[in-house]
Amino acid sequence: MSETDTPKGEDARDQLVALAEQFYDQFQDGDIPRMSLPTRSKSNIEYDEDADVWVYGDSQSTRSANSVRGARKLLKSVFTVDFLVQQLEEGRSSTLRELYYLSESWDEEEAQFNDQSESDKLVEDLEIISGVKREDFHMRPEESGAKVMGPLLLREQTNRGDREIHCQDDVGQGGYQIPNNPDTIEFLENDADFVMCVETGGMRDRLVENGFDDEHNAIVVHLGGQPARATRRLTKRLHDELDLPVTVFTDGDPWSYRIYGSVAYGSIKSAHLSEYLATPQAQFVGIRPQDIVDYDLPTDPLSDSDVNALESELEDPRFQSDFWTEQIELQLDIDKKAEQQALASRGLDFVTDTYLPERLDEMGVI
Amino acid sequence: MTSFQSTLADEEEGIAEELAASQREISVAEFFEKNKHMLGFDSGARGLVTAVKEAVDNALDATEEAGILPDIYVEISEGRDYYTLVVEDNGPGITKAQIPKIFGKLLYGSRFHAREQSRGQQGIGISAAVLYSQLTSGKPVRIESRTQESATSNFYELIIDTDTNEPEISTEKELSAAESDLRGTHGTRIEMDLDANMRARGQLHDYVKHTAVVNPHARIELQEPGGEIKAERAEGAGLPAETDEIRPHPHGVELGTLIKMLSDTDSHSVSGFLQGEFTRVGKKTADSIVDAFRDRYFGREMRWRPPGIDSDTDLEATVVGAVSNKDATHTKVFAQAVVDAVEDAESVAYSELETLVADAAVDAEADTGTSFGDTVQKHVVDAVWTALTEDRAADVFVPVDEATTVQKDDATVRGLAERVAAKFESGPGKDRVTREDLEEYVYRAAENTEEYEDATVGETARENVADALWERMATVPDEPPLTRELADDRDAASNLLDAMASVSVMAPPTSCLSPIEADQLEAGLRKEFDAEFYAASTRDADVHGGDPFIVEAGIAYGGELEAEGGVDLMRFANRVPLVYQRGACATTDVLRNIGWRNYNLDQPGGSGLPQGPAVIMVHVASTNVPFTSESKDAVAHVEEIEDEIELAVREAARDLKSFLNKRQSMRKRQQKQDVIMDILPTMAEKVSEMTERGDVDVDDSLARIMNNVLVERELGDGGDGEVTLRVENHGSSSADVDVTDIVSAEPNAVSDGANVVEMDDEYFVKWSASVAGGETEELTYEVDADADFDLTVQGVEDARLTVNEADT
Repeated sequence: MSETDTPKGEDARDQLVALAEQFYDQFQDGDIPRMSLPTRSKSNIEYDEDADVWVYGDSQSTRSANSVRGARKLLKSVFTVDFLVQQLEEGRSSTLRELYYLSESWDEEEAQFNDQSESDKLVEDLEIISGVKREDFHMRPEESGAKVMGPLLLREQTNRGDREIHCQDDVGQGGYQIPNNPDTIEFLENDADFVMCVETGGMRDRLVENGFDDEHNAIVVHLGGQPARATRRLTKRLHDELDLPVTVFTDGDPWSYRIYGSVAYGSIKSAHLSEYLATPQAQFVGIRPQDIVDYDLPTDPLSDSDVNALESELEDPRFQSDFWTEQIELQLDIDKKAEQQALASRGLDFVTDTYLPERLDEMGVI
Repeated sequence: MTSFQSTLADEEEGIAEELAASQREISVAEFFEKNKHMLGFDSGARGLVTAVKEAVDNALDATEEAGILPDIYVEISEGRDYYTLVVEDNGPGITKAQIPKIFGKLLYGSRFHAREQSRGQQGIGISAAVLYSQLTSGKPVRIESRTQESATSNFYELIIDTDTNEPEISTEKELSAAESDLRGTHGTRIEMDLDANMRARGQLHDYVKHTAVVNPHARIELQEPGGEIKAERAEGAGLPAETDEIRPHPHGVELGTLIKMLSDTDSHSVSGFLQGEFTRVGKKTADSIVDAFRDRYFGREMRWRPPGIDSDTDLEATVVGAVSNKDATHTKVFAQAVVDAVEDAESVAYSELETLVADAAVDAEADTGTSFGDTVQKHVVDAVWTALTEDRAADVFVPVDEATTVQKDDATVRGLAERVAAKFESGPGKDRVTREDLEEYVYRAAENTEEYEDATVGETARENVADALWERMATVPDEPPLTRELADDRDAASNLLDAMASVSVMAPPTSCLSPIEADQLEAGLRKEFDAEFYAASTRDADVHGGDPFIVEAGIAYGGELEAEGGVDLMRFANRVPLVYQRGACATTDVLRNIGWRNYNLDQPGGSGLPQGPAVIMVHVASTNVPFTSESKDAVAHVEEIEDEIELAVREAARDLKSFLNKRQSMRKRQQKQDVIMDILPTMAEKVSEMTERGDVDVDDSLARIMNNVLVERELGDGGDGEVTLRVENHGSSSADVDVTDIVSAEPNAVSDGANVVEMDDEYFVKWSASVAGGETEELTYEVDADADFDLTVQGVEDARLTVNEADT
C-alpha cells in the first residue's frame, strides 16, 4: 500500500463488499467462514527496506467461525462492514465511539460490541483486510489531531468550503488545529527550516512563548502523548512534500521513546499504515539519558515498569540501533529519568537559548 | 487372718449354692424373647419392617425353590389396637405337618447346614416374627397354606411356647377353596397382629422397592394405610439360576465344626473323610493333606547319607555281619541289594530304611530262595542305621552351611552342625521329630554355639537352618489315626485343621451362588428408577473363609433422581435389602473411601458418600454372608469382600464416568452449536443482502464447524428425478450411519449398498454407510420428479448430526 493509491470513495465501498462476497462464497462452498490478517504483535513486525519503515511480517492469524469466539468476531465484522458500506453510500461520517454505541441498536445481540476497544480494533482489522484507510471509511477518532504553529500557509477543505490559513498569522496562541483527515489539506507556501514535534503541551507553550518558531523558522507540532494518526500523517507530509527535516523532542523516559518510535517507525497497532504514517527520517532530539548526565538535570528514579519497558525496547526491532542501545543501557545504568520541563532548572530560556540550539546544531539541523 | 479366710470360704460356698439353685436351662425362645433387638425387633416401627422382611424373604425363597415366578402380596392394616400384617405368596405351599414347626419353632429350618446361597439361613426369621407378634398382641398368628396338588388348604392358629420352643396350636382345620383367603390356587398366607407403627414407612418402602430391584423376576405388591407400591416383573426376567448345595471347603471350617464333622462322618479313614465331606478334595488333595497331617502329628524322620568311600565302614560287610545262619552267597546277594538301594536313595530315613530292607529281602528270596525273615531284617536295619548315623554332623553340616550366610566362619557352622547332630543323637529313636522339636534343636544348638564359639546365629539364620533340615526330612509312612480317634483328640484334630489350611485347594465351585447378573441388575434399576443412565457389573466369584462369594454393583444416574444431598445407597446380601445400620456396613465404608471425584461425582472434602442424582447398589451373594450381628443388617468388614465390593463399584463407576464425560462434552458441543446456529444464519443473511446475491445455506459450513455428520439429499438439476443422498463426515472418527429415505414413488436405479422395501405404497430406501472421518459417501437413485421424501438418520447422536433435506 503506498500513500497515494489506497482505495477511496466508491472503491472503498467495493473493497468492503468484496469482503462480504468472500464470506458468501465460503458459505456457498460449505467452507467454514474465515478471514486472515497479519498477526498484530511485536514478533511480527519487520523492517521494509524499500519504504524504510516497520511493517507487519508474514505471520497470519485466521479468524474463523470454528469457535464461538471466532464466529462472534465474524458476525460483528459483517455488521460493521454493512454499516460502513451504508455510511459510504450515504456520504456521511461517524466517530469510532458512535460506531460502538450504534451497535447497541443492532437486532442481533451477538453482533453488539462489548466495549469500544473492541470496535476500534475491528475497524483497524477492516483497514488491514480491505486495504482502505479508516479515514476513507469516514470513521473519525474522538480526538482530532493536535496543533501546529509555524511559518506555513495551507488550504483546508472544510464542510463550509475551502479555507486558507497561515499557521502563525491566522491562528491564536494555541495554533492551527489539525483536522481528522489531514489529506484534506493542501500546502501552499512555507518559510520553514525544520519541523519540531514536541511531546508535552507545557513545552510547546514554552517554545511558542519564547518565539522559538519565529526565531528558528520551525514548525512546532504538538504531539500530546501518543500522537494521533492525523498528527503523524501531517508530520509525514511536511517531511515528504515540503522536504523539511523532522525532529522529535520528548521527555527522557521509555514511554517517550515509544512516542518517537511511532512517529519515526510506525506503531505496532497500525503497522499496516506505516508507509502512510511513519516518518523514518525523524530525528530524536532528547531528552537523552546522555543529557541527564551532561546537564545534570533534576531526575526521578526509574520505576519497575520503566525498567521493564526499557528492557523490552532493547528487544524491540524498531530500536535496534547503536544510538538507542547505548542510550537505553546508559539509562538503565544511571537508573534515572527526566522530564522536558526539567530543563527549567537552568532557567526558563535555557531550553530555547541553549539546549535546543546546541542539540540541533549537533544534529546538523541548524 | 485365718478366721477371716474361713469365713470367706463359708460365704463363698453359700453363694455358689444359692446361685446353683437359681441356675436353670434357658429355652432358645425365652432367650430371644429377652433379646429381640438382636433379631431386629427392637421397636414397633422396626418390628413391622423386620416382620415384613422375614416373611417376604421366606416367600421369595419358597417360590423360587419350587421354580415359580414369585408373586407376593403384602398388606398392612391398622386395627383398633394393633396393626395386622398379611404376607401371601404363590409358592408351592407347606405340608400340613411342617406348618407348625416352620412357624412355631425357633431355629427350625433346612438352610442352616446347607452351603448354598439363600435368603434365610438361621431359621430364626419368620418364627421370630411370630414370637414378636404373640408377645406384643397376645394373639396367635394365622397361617394358611395350600400345596400345588391339593384342593383344600390347611389353616392353623398358633403361638410359640417360649419355655419349650415348641408350637402351641389353638386352631387346626382344613379349608375348602371357597373358605380360603388365598388369592391363588397354591401358596402360603400368614396373618399376624402386632403392636407397631408406621414411623418406619420410609424403610418399609425402601425395603419393598429395593427388593424389587434385585428380584426383577418377582411381582411384589404392598398395601399399607398410607399408600401402595406395585413392583411389576421386569420383562423377560426369569427365575434366578438354580443353586447347588456344596460341601464345606477345607479352608472354610473352624475346629469345632471339624470335630463335629469327624464324629458324624461315616468314613473311617482321614483320607476318605476329607474326600467325602469337603468340596474340591480328591485323592491327590486328600493325600497332600494327610501327608501334611502326618508331618504335624507324627513329625518327620531325618534322612542320613551312607558312609562315603573314604570311610572305614563297609556297608555290605555290615549287612553281611548282621545276618547269621544263612547261606553266605545268598546273604551276599541280599546285602548287595540293600546297599544298592541305600546308595541309590543317597540319603535314607529310618522308616525308609525299613521298607528298603524289606523290599531287598523279598527280592533276595525271589532270587535265591532263601528267606530273610523279620528278625534278620530287624538286625540288618539296626546295623545299617548305626552305619548311617555314624557321622550325623557331616550330614547336618551341608544344609546348615547352605542355609547360613557366607559371613559365618567355618568353625561356627561346624559347631552348629555338630550340636544339632548331637540333639538328634540324644533324641528319640529313628531320629523322628516334629517341626517344633526340630526348631527347639536348632534353637538350643544355636544358643550353645553363640555361647561357646562367640559367634552370632540370628533369628533368620535359625529359621533358615530349621527350614533346610525340615526340607531334607522324610514324611513318615505311619497310618494316621481313624476319624473317630481324631474326633476325641482335640490336639490331633487341630493338627488336621492346620494341615488342611497348609495345602492349597482349588476355590470352591460357584454353582452354589446365584448372582443377579449385570443385565438383570440393570433391568431391575431401570424398572424401579427413572434415571438417565444405568450401569451394572458382576465380579467373578472369590472366596472368604472357604465360602465363595460374588459381588455385584449397579449405578443409576440422573433423570428423576433426587439431585440434592448424598446419593442413595442400596445394600443387598443374597438378594435381601439391608435397610438398617448403614453406617456399620462394610459396603458403606468401601464407598466412602472411593475417590468419587475421579468418577465425576461430587464428594465434598474428597471422602465420604458422593452427592448427586445417583443410586448406587451393592449386592453380596455368598453361601455365608458375614454379618456384624444376628439381625443381618450390615455386612461385616471382611477384607476379601471389601476388595471385591470396591472393584465392582469402580467397574460400574467407570461406565458412569465415561457417560458423564460424554454428556459434558455433548453439552458443550450443544452450547457451541446453539450459539453458532444463531450466528451463522444471521451472518449469511447479512452477506447475501450486501452482495445482492440469493439466500445461502449454512448447514454445510455448520456441519464442518461442529465436526458433524452431515446428511443431505440433493435433487438432480434437470428435474430428471435423480436423487443423491450424501453423508459427509466432518468429524475425525468414523461414523456408522443408518439412513432411511421414505419415498412416495418407486425408486429405480438404486446404487449399490442400499435396499428398498415397499410398505403401504411407500418405499423405504434403507442404506447403512460407514463413513471414515473426513470422508463422504453417496447413494443415488432415480424417482418420479414429483415424489415426496422423508429422511431419517440413525446411528449418530443428535448433537453431532445435521440433516439437510432439499425441498422437493
